[in-house]
Amino acid sequence: MSELTQYAILLGLTLGTVGLVLSIYALARAIGRARAEPAKDVPATAGTLARDPVWVRYHAKYYGYALLFLAFDMEMAFMYPWAVVYREKGLVALLDMGVFLAILFLGLLYGWSQGALRRQ
Amino acid sequence: MSIAVIILALAIGCYAVAVLEGWAVHGRLSLTRPATSALALLGREQILPRTSDRLFFEVGPVLLLVAGLLSVAVIPLAPGLIITDLAIGALFLNAALAYVLVALIMAGWGPNGAYGMVGGWRFLGQFIAYAMLIVMPITAVAMRAESLSTTQIVLSQAALWNIAYQPIGFVLFVIAAMGVAWLPPIDLPTGGGDLAGGVEAEYTGARLAVLRLARLVIIVALASATVTFYLGGWLGPWLPGWVWTALKTLAVAAGMLALGSRLPRLREAKYLELSWKLGITLALANIFLVGVIALVVPI
Repeated sequence: MSELTQYAILLGLTLGTVGLVLSIYALARAIGRARAEPAKDVPATAGTLARDPVWVRYHAKYYGYALLFLAFDMEMAFMYPWAVVYREKGLVALLDMGVFLAILFLGLLYGWSQGALRRQ
Repeated sequence: MSIAVIILALAIGCYAVAVLEGWAVHGRLSLTRPATSALALLGREQILPRTSDRLFFEVGPVLLLVAGLLSVAVIPLAPGLIITDLAIGALFLNAALAYVLVALIMAGWGPNGAYGMVGGWRFLGQFIAYAMLIVMPITAVAMRAESLSTTQIVLSQAALWNIAYQPIGFVLFVIAAMGVAWLPPIDLPTGGGDLAGGVEAEYTGARLAVLRLARLVIIVALASATVTFYLGGWLGPWLPGWVWTALKTLAVAAGMLALGSRLPRLREAKYLELSWKLGITLALANIFLVGVIALVVPI
């Protein structure tokens, strides 16, 4: 199977899923529809509208982790191709990536010592 | 042909996991309960919360289901019985599972309700905790198999399953997988008894049915990914390959559910701390250990 066929199958799977969901919704609609009654569409806050708006800015208390996560996620992009050819390249590959990972791990330790690894 | 077989197997697997989850949560083993609750959900009213973000609200559950199905698409049930045997299968699985986060944030943001919103944002914190522990153990698996194709990964375990070859990676991957599927004790986005359902709070009727179905698909996807990466996939004596995959997948799912029902819920701060201080260190050590073993031992 060529690569293009495989991705076409995956696209077909996605569209099929959307079709399945739409047909479930159509079935539910055929069974019955919601009656329009006052205050039925209030979000779950004990039947009254929330005092404060919900769509506001939140403090991401884990931002220290999030910044480290970006660094580690980029590193993983390098690690996948490296992992595939690892055995072929042998010890050189281990040393190359060992140095890279050691630097990254030192970064993690530094972040830890500066208090990045706790909820702010 | 193989697509139809795998979709059918997935449907049966989802139903079995729903039965198992009922057993783990309520302590009753009922074979009909998932079917009756699905029918009940279809018959219930579908309410659209006022001032909701309609696009996010509708797309959330659908995207979750698509993410689950796409990750199942690269899991082999038996030799040749796989939807798409991509050369980058393991990476594709990661990419598909990344959309779980997007879908849950959408489902949390969309209805404009406080509980949903808190659930969605909590899952973002949870994502930052589990994400690296999904990808790093998979890297170590790919190092041994010299390939990212899931079929090759299974074949590489013919001599010794990865659970014995890299046990640290197995433990980390299973715990991270429980985080992806928000299984207890890491069920922060729904948080039963805490958030009034969290991201599920504003969903009713058929939309809730799709959301719950999507979660079942994701549990099956992660259990079968664990089997593919660590438990030798279809490999096993006497029985045909697909039976082994199915049995192992159900066993892993049952194990994750049973483990979760016996532990108290983990706070987000604690989970982040554990994952980054202990988890990442162990994952890097795992990569190093596997690297050394792979160079010394030829299997």
